[in-house]
Amino acid sequence: MRRRRIALAAFLTVVGPGVITGFAGNEAGGVTTYSSVGALFGFSLLWLLLIASIGLGVIQEMCSRMGLVTGQGLSDLIRERFGVRWTVLAMIVLVIANGTNVVAEFAGIAASVELLGVPRIVSVPIAALAVWSLVVFFSYRFVERVLFVLVLAFLAYPISVFILRPDWPVVLSGFIPSIPTSPSALVFALALVGTTITPYLLFYMQASVVDKGVDRQAAAYARVDVFLGAALAGLFAFFIIVVTGSVLHPAGIRVTSAEAAAQALVPLAGARAGLLFAVGLCGASLLGAVIMPLSTSYAICEAFGWESGISKNFREAPVFMSLFTLLIVLGAIVVLIPGISLIPLIISAQIANGVLLPIVLVFILRLATDRRVMGDAVNGRTATVLGWGIAGIAGSLSIAYLVASFFA
Amino acid sequence: MPYLSDIQHRRVIEPNGTEVAKLADLAVVPQGQFPAVQWAILATPEGERIVRWSELAQEIGHLRLRGRLSTIADAQLPQEALRLSRDLMDKQVVDTHGAKVVRVNDLQLSEVDGQLRLVGADVGLRGLLRRVGAEGLAERVVGFAGQKLPRGIIPWHLVEPLAAQDANVRVTVPRTKLALLHPADIADIVEEMTVDDRRAVFEQLDIETAAETLSEIEPEMQASIVSDLEQERAADILDEMAPDEAADLLQDLPEERREELVDLMEKDEAADVEELLSYPEDSAGGIMTTDFIALPAQLTAAAAIDKLRELQPDAELTYYLYVVDGQGRLDGVISLRDLVVAKPETPISEVMDRNVMKVDATSPKEEVASLIAKYNLLALPVVDARRKLLGTVTIDDVVDIMLPRGWKKRSLRSIAR
Repeated sequence: MRRRRIALAAFLTVVGPGVITGFAGNEAGGVTTYSSVGALFGFSLLWLLLIASIGLGVIQEMCSRMGLVTGQGLSDLIRERFGVRWTVLAMIVLVIANGTNVVAEFAGIAASVELLGVPRIVSVPIAALAVWSLVVFFSYRFVERVLFVLVLAFLAYPISVFILRPDWPVVLSGFIPSIPTSPSALVFALALVGTTITPYLLFYMQASVVDKGVDRQAAAYARVDVFLGAALAGLFAFFIIVVTGSVLHPAGIRVTSAEAAAQALVPLAGARAGLLFAVGLCGASLLGAVIMPLSTSYAICEAFGWESGISKNFREAPVFMSLFTLLIVLGAIVVLIPGISLIPLIISAQIANGVLLPIVLVFILRLATDRRVMGDAVNGRTATVLGWGIAGIAGSLSIAYLVASFFA
Repeated sequence: MPYLSDIQHRRVIEPNGTEVAKLADLAVVPQGQFPAVQWAILATPEGERIVRWSELAQEIGHLRLRGRLSTIADAQLPQEALRLSRDLMDKQVVDTHGAKVVRVNDLQLSEVDGQLRLVGADVGLRGLLRRVGAEGLAERVVGFAGQKLPRGIIPWHLVEPLAAQDANVRVTVPRTKLALLHPADIADIVEEMTVDDRRAVFEQLDIETAAETLSEIEPEMQASIVSDLEQERAADILDEMAPDEAADLLQDLPEERREELVDLMEKDEAADVEELLSYPEDSAGGIMTTDFIALPAQLTAAAAIDKLRELQPDAELTYYLYVVDGQGRLDGVISLRDLVVAKPETPISEVMDRNVMKVDATSPKEEVASLIAKYNLLALPVVDARRKLLGTVTIDDVVDIMLPRGWKKRSLRSIAR
């Protein structure tokens, strides 16, 4: 008994909220977007991935620091610092971003199970019901463990890289920035940023730090954990792009279906590539479908002071439970619209996240640079400059995208 | 009755009608049932000015100064003053009546005997809508359906503000109203607070209330609260807790910290706790308490009652009185009722029930729970291999094993780990 305790403690000191969040970020949206980017543009957007990953680390570090210093969630702070009106704006942004993500997760579930021959009209309602009842009736930790195991199927990407032996100089040349000019490159650049720095991750990160009650003396350690998480997330995306860029891009295969995306794993897994990809995608999507509605409902109820908590029923916490249920139901219904194609649906969700990201970043940066909120733990110059740099890049991509789609 | 959101940002004019400032904030000293508004904070082009509220007269649509702003003396806010907008609006407060943490959407002010007073905190939907300027619209929409928008106002004397949110000056607000609540209610409230507020509450409550409150808090949070407290105070609180609850809590702390705390505890309590810690967590020994009443078998009924008078045990210990022999081995059980109705000179060994249900210290806790459930017991004695009475498992220690899983409290915390 005692021995198990020590092992668990050791595990927890290695894996903090940063690493877990970095891992959770690789949901349906991430895998699909990175695959599409690799297939369409080869390695040429790797430089943007590097910037986005650094951005993820810098912004997550701010959120983690805010959680540590104030002991409050991001939506708490937004409400207390900016008042009701700005909070309403921030929460509308969050609901849209996360709502589209829930849709993407259910699309991921549908796509992965269709690979195995199960139609979505069967899989999606079952998945929705399962996700709802898993969260309401079971221990979240158990669900999380099981799903993490499924996601391990994606270790196939780093392993594939060793089998494929890509031409490294060519791969590395992708880190030389080249401004995307074609409309489709612009769209995917935005999706890439939107899926790497997903707004929900930032709220989730801060909530995790607050709930875990990380020791303030361990702030330096928390920082390492956050950067490690961002690095892992970036590295994982890098592997997907390298594999799809080496396999799909030269063959001219576009990721229009999960089947096409799974082709990238054929050199490693042969005929089993479909199964491997399906298992990974299904686990990742389910994980997202569990976390996303829950963390959204918590954030919103926190901001407006409504009762929240999964152990409460509809009468005790009406807004929380309705919101949570509604997100799942709507997410599932959108996927069931006849004839809707899943992969574009997932990508669109990442674009929506990319467009909304700058708004969330401005809130975060305003808070993290505010001495009244942060005291002595206020942002240093480097963090602030990097942060505004990321916000600037995300903002220009969003505006360029909006302008381009307006004239298209 | 005006709300703060109605009069905040109003124009402030001088006697001759020129606008010199906007009303930025109001300040009160949070004492008494409904504290009086004593200061106004004005936003002038040159910066903030603090003036006494009595220098201003409320008129329709604006506030009029009684003299030129330049001739009015600056007032000083005392340390304990609360600024309504900065310190209360949008912040979390405790609704001591409903025993929960809520967020302030607006503040209700009222003129009482010619003095503007803070009378309530609006925590309802109406306040939210008013802040976004949609109260009238929503009222019409809801009215159209034949309904009324509900009011959600907590009278100020039932509101307990939490600490000021400025990171540089963490003011400690004395939480006198909170201390009057039932420990179980305080526990519910504390669970929703931030780490700092939580620690502040446990530093201020008296030891006994703190111990009872701590017992009611979720296990994971218990450990983190105890870790945050000063060692001496933590040990005092642990002394006051039931030994089994203190042991459960200590079990969740890192070994080093646990030993430090046990060393600081009082000798008797520490010995009990250490004994309990030596049993596996999931066994009868791990969940039992060492608080129980054991009466020597040779006592007469009268002597036994005298003994109880002397011990003055807590009510929950008197459901079952255990009878032991000279070596402390469990011989039987006797109820308070049987003891009282027995003839005073009868030895208790003659009225006791020899057929006593008991479990071994190493039995799994599920077995204990099913015995308690099956025989409708309130407590079950725990013995070692030689039948020596070690402790009892009371029904509250096994309730959570018997309840269906969904009943257990869960929150985002369980996601984060």
